[in-house]
Amino acid sequence: MSREIKKGFSGGQYKPLSAYDVGRIHETAFRILDEIGVRVELKEALDIFERGGAEVEVNRGEKIVRISSELVEAMVKSAPSKIVLGGREKENDLVLEGTRVHMGTGGAALNVIDIDSGEKRKGTLRDIADIAKLADALGNIHFFVRPCIAQDIPIEDLVVNQFYAGLSNTTKHVMSGCDNAEKVEEVVEIAELIAGGEVKDRPPLSFITCWMDSPLCFASNVTKALIEVVKKDLPVILSSAPIAGLTSPITLAGTLVQLHAEELSGIVFTQLINPGAPVVYGGIPSMADMHNLRYIAGGMEFGMMNAAISQLSQSIGLPNYNSAGITDAAIPDIQAVYEKAHSICQCALSGSNLIHHAAGMLESMLTVDYGQYVIDNEIIGMAMRGVRGIEVNEDTEALDEIKRVGHGGDYLRSKHTRRHMRTEFFEPMLASREEREDKDKQGLRDIRELAKSKVKEVLDTHTPVEIDPEVDRRIRERFNIL
Amino acid sequence: MKISEEILTKIKENVVKGRRNKEDEDLEGGSVGEPGVEELVDGALKGEIGPKKIIECINDAMVVVGKKFETGEYFVPDMLASAEAVSVGMEVLEPELLKVGQKKEKFVVATVEGDIHDIGKNIFAMMLKGAGFAVIDMGTDVSAEKIVKTVKAEDGEIVGIGLSALLTTTMENMGVVTEKLREEGMSKSVLVGGAAVSKEFADKIGAIYCADAFEGVDKAKELIKRG
Repeated sequence: MSREIKKGFSGGQYKPLSAYDVGRIHETAFRILDEIGVRVELKEALDIFERGGAEVEVNRGEKIVRISSELVEAMVKSAPSKIVLGGREKENDLVLEGTRVHMGTGGAALNVIDIDSGEKRKGTLRDIADIAKLADALGNIHFFVRPCIAQDIPIEDLVVNQFYAGLSNTTKHVMSGCDNAEKVEEVVEIAELIAGGEVKDRPPLSFITCWMDSPLCFASNVTKALIEVVKKDLPVILSSAPIAGLTSPITLAGTLVQLHAEELSGIVFTQLINPGAPVVYGGIPSMADMHNLRYIAGGMEFGMMNAAISQLSQSIGLPNYNSAGITDAAIPDIQAVYEKAHSICQCALSGSNLIHHAAGMLESMLTVDYGQYVIDNEIIGMAMRGVRGIEVNEDTEALDEIKRVGHGGDYLRSKHTRRHMRTEFFEPMLASREEREDKDKQGLRDIRELAKSKVKEVLDTHTPVEIDPEVDRRIRERFNIL
Repeated sequence: MKISEEILTKIKENVVKGRRNKEDEDLEGGSVGEPGVEELVDGALKGEIGPKKIIECINDAMVVVGKKFETGEYFVPDMLASAEAVSVGMEVLEPELLKVGQKKEKFVVATVEGDIHDIGKNIFAMMLKGAGFAVIDMGTDVSAEKIVKTVKAEDGEIVGIGLSALLTTTMENMGVVTEKLREEGMSKSVLVGGAAVSKEFADKIGAIYCADAFEGVDKAKELIKRG
């Protein structure tokens, strides 16, 4: 069921912000960094900022770093505008640049809907492995972010095992969070063993660091890990996720301004540590439900803000990472898919380079569902078709064909039709286009059942290209692989 | 591989690819300039391969095409291209078939009076040709009188009549055709199809319902078997 991978098309058709808006947000973010600054408690980080020319002051016991617009501009220039993330197989490499779109899984979900019982239960290491295998087989999923937290293994083994469960079950690029500086070295070692040496050019894995505690605070522990990753020259995602109304202003613009300032402070930080270090602008704005303060990611504004993030990162020429495909629906119902379809289309069409959470998520990121990956794979496929856009040239305009067929004929027997019909329309794997009577004959199968049977088919039959047994042996010798 | 086997394999391949002649491309856009079904059938006859063998090979190829269509690998235009390639091959074969007294079964097709929507009818006609029928295509907006006249003129040789209509308003004219045929005492089988047509309607007017052109061809073949 694996299909041709269609990734990296250039988006940018959807622009929720005007050029004026982008410029204005940028200027206001400068003012935040200059007038308000970010709070940084970690001594090592404060030193880095101070040595780099930022202003550090102690205000009522809080250590505040103020960054001038000149410093921001210089540091943004030093960050690379193109980053290549490797797959274990080269065809799965991702070139992050401009408006090239890639979509993948995501999350740190606590729960999994069990494929057999349909019950909600705690996520396990086996789930990460199985979902990686599923992502490996689904053609529209372009990269793999660890989908859930393995709650069946000791915490000290978590980081390495979450990475390795992904790496050994998919040849797509693998990403996972890391909030523990001591584990960075180990993960880098695994990357080097898999790549057979230097990993700088196309690393098979990359780190997501949630270093920002919005509003405007560096989280000390994660910042420590961030410093280690940046020193290693490995690509790092600067993940900041303010919640409008709760940890950022209720207005979309206010949230974007604050988030942009937070990202800029992170970019400056990484470039002060290691000029030219590959860093990804990772803004993930969301909202709080003002009725009960629950996290909302299924609303229209979520997609609008995450699409705006692409514009903001594009305006400073850096690759970006954001979220789409999250739903607030707790079960894979109609709400789940319309919310997903909106944000996936919005982010894809805005030209986001790494859209994570795009498959499998339910219940505002608390839960992942196996069947949902297959359904979301289809939504992503449709969105990518939108990103690819309408090709207009002599061949596609088909003037000669129109002339040949003339009045009242048909195009069914035309060579032009056969030449284009397999690629011009997106070919769905699940969608039904039958009439009611035909569906009745087949027993009116729900798309969720169909998706589940695809999952079972993949888990039973798909064999991802394995890691060299010798490399696998060495990794298992060196680390506690569970 | 013997030369005869080789050429038959090539005929089969090219029917599956839907290449009528050397000007046609294959699915990958290649093969232009290489012989298609027309040239290959001609070559086979010149190489003393009997028409019966060639027809067998073409039938095998169409079974493959049918399977590819069912699994979704082939689309309608692929099926039509293959049918068209067969039709071209059959034309080359025709003089040889006549020599041995073999004639194609005739089938009349028409879009009924008041209706000009002929895509379905055209697909059916092409598929019939691909299945080895001689098709008398009367076109669109054809009156019951004209159809009956044609059938009468060719009587004895017509296996069946295929009628299509897209509109619910023109569909009723199919009933007029079956009625007229009965009045004239002609017990010809009439196949009906089209978006608005249902099994119930077909039963009501005494016709055979076909859900699509492919079912139509199957039903047409059954008519020959019944004789």
